[in-house]
Amino acid sequence: MTALRSLFQPMAARHGLGAACFIGIAVFVWVVFLIVLPQISMLDYSFRLNLPKPDIGGPLDVYTLDNYAYFFSGNDGQLNTLDIGILVKTLVAAVFVTLIDIVICYPIAYILAHSATGVAARLMVIGLIVPFWVNEILRAFAFRVLFGATGLINSLGMGAGLWDQPVDFIRADVALYSGLTYAYILLMVFPIFNAVEALDRNQIEAARDMGASWWRVHWRVVLPIAKPGIASGATMVFMLTAGALAAPQILGGPSNLWFTQLIYQWFNESANWQRGSAYAVILLLVCIGFVMMLMRVFKVSIGEIGR
Amino acid sequence: MNKGTGGGPIAAGYSLLFFAFLFGPLIIMVITAFNSSSFPRITPWECFTTEWFDELFGNERLMAGLVNSVIIGIGVVAISVPVGLAGALALSEVGPKVRAALYTVLITPILIPGVVLGISTIVFWGALGRSVGADYGSIFFDGMFLTLAGQVTFIAAYAMLVFLARLQRFDPTLTEAALDLGATPGQAFRKILLPFLSPAIGSAAFLTLLASFENYNTTVFTILSGNTFTTTLASKVRHGTDPSLSALAVIIIAVTLIGAMVHEAYTRRAEVMRTGQAARSKVYGNPVLSVLAHPAMVLVLLLGMGGSLAYKASQIDASVCKQQILDEKRALQEKLLEEQRERIRTQKAGTPAPAAPSSGPAPSSFGGAFNPGSLAPGAAPASPAAPQSPSGFGGAFAPGNLKPN
Amino acid sequence: MTTKDIVLDHVSIRFGSYTAVDNAHLTIQGGEFFSFLGPSGCGKTTLLRCVSGFSEPTEGRVLIGGKDMKGVGPNKRPTALIFQNLALFPLMSVAENIAFPLEVRGVSRKERRKRADELLDMIALPGVGDKKVHELSGGQRQRVAIARALAVEPDILLLDEPLSALDLKLRHHMRTELRAIQQRVGLTFIYITHDQGEALTMSDRIAVMNAGVIEQIGDPESVYNRPKTSFVASFVGETNAIEGKVVLQSGEMVTLETPLGPLQGKAAGGRRYKNGDSCYLFIRPEQMELKADAEAPNTIAASVTKEEFEGNSRILFVSANGVDMRVTRVNRGGSDGMVTGHAVTFAFDPAHATVLPHGQLAGA
Repeated sequence: MTALRSLFQPMAARHGLGAACFIGIAVFVWVVFLIVLPQISMLDYSFRLNLPKPDIGGPLDVYTLDNYAYFFSGNDGQLNTLDIGILVKTLVAAVFVTLIDIVICYPIAYILAHSATGVAARLMVIGLIVPFWVNEILRAFAFRVLFGATGLINSLGMGAGLWDQPVDFIRADVALYSGLTYAYILLMVFPIFNAVEALDRNQIEAARDMGASWWRVHWRVVLPIAKPGIASGATMVFMLTAGALAAPQILGGPSNLWFTQLIYQWFNESANWQRGSAYAVILLLVCIGFVMMLMRVFKVSIGEIGR
Repeated sequence: MNKGTGGGPIAAGYSLLFFAFLFGPLIIMVITAFNSSSFPRITPWECFTTEWFDELFGNERLMAGLVNSVIIGIGVVAISVPVGLAGALALSEVGPKVRAALYTVLITPILIPGVVLGISTIVFWGALGRSVGADYGSIFFDGMFLTLAGQVTFIAAYAMLVFLARLQRFDPTLTEAALDLGATPGQAFRKILLPFLSPAIGSAAFLTLLASFENYNTTVFTILSGNTFTTTLASKVRHGTDPSLSALAVIIIAVTLIGAMVHEAYTRRAEVMRTGQAARSKVYGNPVLSVLAHPAMVLVLLLGMGGSLAYKASQIDASVCKQQILDEKRALQEKLLEEQRERIRTQKAGTPAPAAPSSGPAPSSFGGAFNPGSLAPGAAPASPAAPQSPSGFGGAFAPGNLKPN
Repeated sequence: MTTKDIVLDHVSIRFGSYTAVDNAHLTIQGGEFFSFLGPSGCGKTTLLRCVSGFSEPTEGRVLIGGKDMKGVGPNKRPTALIFQNLALFPLMSVAENIAFPLEVRGVSRKERRKRADELLDMIALPGVGDKKVHELSGGQRQRVAIARALAVEPDILLLDEPLSALDLKLRHHMRTELRAIQQRVGLTFIYITHDQGEALTMSDRIAVMNAGVIEQIGDPESVYNRPKTSFVASFVGETNAIEGKVVLQSGEMVTLETPLGPLQGKAAGGRRYKNGDSCYLFIRPEQMELKADAEAPNTIAASVTKEEFEGNSRILFVSANGVDMRVTRVNRGGSDGMVTGHAVTFAFDPAHATVLPHGQLAGA
């Protein structure tokens, strides 16, 4: 309580009592009722049994590890290879998508920051933002149109004689990976752009002047500056990809589930919220753990995310 | 493009490729909105039509979802912007240690997967509702309220980032100066800091509205049995597609482009006016061009152009062309059926038909769709995911088309 | 005692274990132009913020017009502060800026405008009221900031290096102008600067600060001519510092044994030294005279290392027995043939040399 007061008093001295009350109450409600308590109650829920309504709060309503146990060993005590496999596949795919995004966004961020000027730069910024004002669902839909059996890719490919049967890009997850890569490009370009923009153009010219090759200039001069931006962008892209639901539902093959779809099924098809909560907790912990591990490896702090 | 720092043809070429990737899918989707084919596609092109727009506006579920989305969107903006502002102000005032901790807490909702946020929201409010003995008709089980709560959780963080970026450029001595000149802290806040932040309020409101409108992952859980525009859209895409979705994309993209151009005209004008170079500028010095470049004028012109295009397009009657296409299809079917009968006859006769051009499943683009038996309604082998992702074949040669035989 | 008096009563300001201001104790008279002069980081801005009410002293009291200011916020004190970056409100017009103090006091719009126009007349900028701040030049902004501060009708105006952002010529012009404004309005001005030229030209009195300590308070002449510490002697104006040990003191006259031989100077403030005390002898470059006579006291033989031409004067850099010194000579036209390596002899009047105990030198 003293800690809260020590936060509150300078605020009131600086912005007035009214503003301080507004700030205090708004942040308090946000942190407590929207962020912290819901996560705690989800965690609590994940340790409970899926009981019929009359039994809730009764003697049967006890804490249990069942929901987690199910994830690891299924109903029969065997290793639950299906669900674990889906989680692993989701993570691997999210890493893959993140890497592709880094590779295609780094050059464009660099060009935008240091090569494009005037009208070209403004057009590029507008061109980057405009596609992302289009609904996420419609963007996924566009990829479905593109990769469908009679989509443009198949028509072109068969028209050019590259293949003679329509390739099922949906089943092969090509459409899904492309769609996910596309979906979060903006979140990768702008953090890298912000970081690279801070680089003094003279440094690049100096390095070039000293005879460094393009590879070396980027490896030794530009990349170190871009690193926090890349880390920030990669964190966001990874988390959003791993947590994506719309794109896998629309673009995913029928037999290839995304982990979020499993959660969705527990909630909406099996009506087992408790198990769904447990799966959500697993997803959250695994993703956060993975990101924190990478942040430690690359020595970046969470304070740099969102800059 | 600057040669010294990496411009040149490679950069230009890469940029072109990149933007082709960004815009290509959207352009193709836009084109499919005008093809009369009942599956969204460009090839084969059938007839130019605007009927998918009528179909779109006739979709009542979607329109009801739109109303819900607008209500939720307004609510989210009204809550997220002040909350985000409060978060940003709190962060800018506290000491570095508390700041780091608070920043981590406030930024996590952006990183937490949307499904997790949605689940935690319904679980928490449901538990709260049960603990106070509320029934299922109460606010704790109301999809609109839960969606509002779930979306504000992370959308407020977006608003906060916008305000933080603006606050970083605020000179704190301005507040001190106001205090020194006799203003109370409250006056300094209202007269100095808030006006400085006001441009950010606009962009934060826009960003939050867009984020709320677009959101699927959280909303699909929190809306419970209800619908928003986006969730309706998603279920429509999942359970079969038609070009009315492309028509929707056309509308959204048109609105977006008009908005972007008007915004650009506005910022250009504001910049020129601010630097006082209006008289010297080619565009703004000329009275006619200056009026034309005024954002309101740009808006009117673009809306006029869009409107007249839409009107002209709606006057084109696609029925003749469609009838023709239908006739062509029938003729093709007749021919194929005839060939098939022929093949069956030859098979029955036991003589192989090695050179017959139409015998056997030819490696044509119509591939396996015409294997014997594929004419049975509902079976379209070319599209293994038939019910969920109807392929072009499934659509074009849908059972309905074949039935007349 | 008037309402425009300020008393700093044994004021100390500490941040944790760091002492920013150490026991400042002085009285500033109403209507005085008082400067705090010192290098950056000496605590002068901290002291000013304490007077204006943005911070409170850790120890001691600040009294304005005889009243203890403890717990009185900056908006309640009879002071107005001109910020180093001026802190003009960028979103307001010039007139709105100037009328801001009246606006927050609830003065009517019409009255505000009238007062703003009066103040603009006073600072000789009539008719710019509707301009935006960024449309003004640096000097104009400076004057608007002063007008805005005066609109508060303060008893005391505090100025935190307000001229530092201006170019040299404007800075010199604004010195005269500031002094003229101060005399016209008759307020107490407290002026913070690291530029000794500003402090010397404008002030009635100067407090020289170093590392949180006020080393000397006095009028410009006494600070320049009769420094009380090694720091003041070396910080205010150009000077040559020659290290030595006391060998003899008779009355005010002290003789030091230095690497340049025995040199004589005056003991500042009638100070007594013991033989063997470590001291500095300070002699201003303009007091050094080229002499042919090598027999007079305080004569130094040296060789020229370089010469700098400054227009109205020449600065001769000389070196003797490892001691570097500079000599200023008025430019009377034509070259004086002082090339590098040239041997010169010069001397100074012991009455112009000051002997001070060994201590920290400015910039050392």
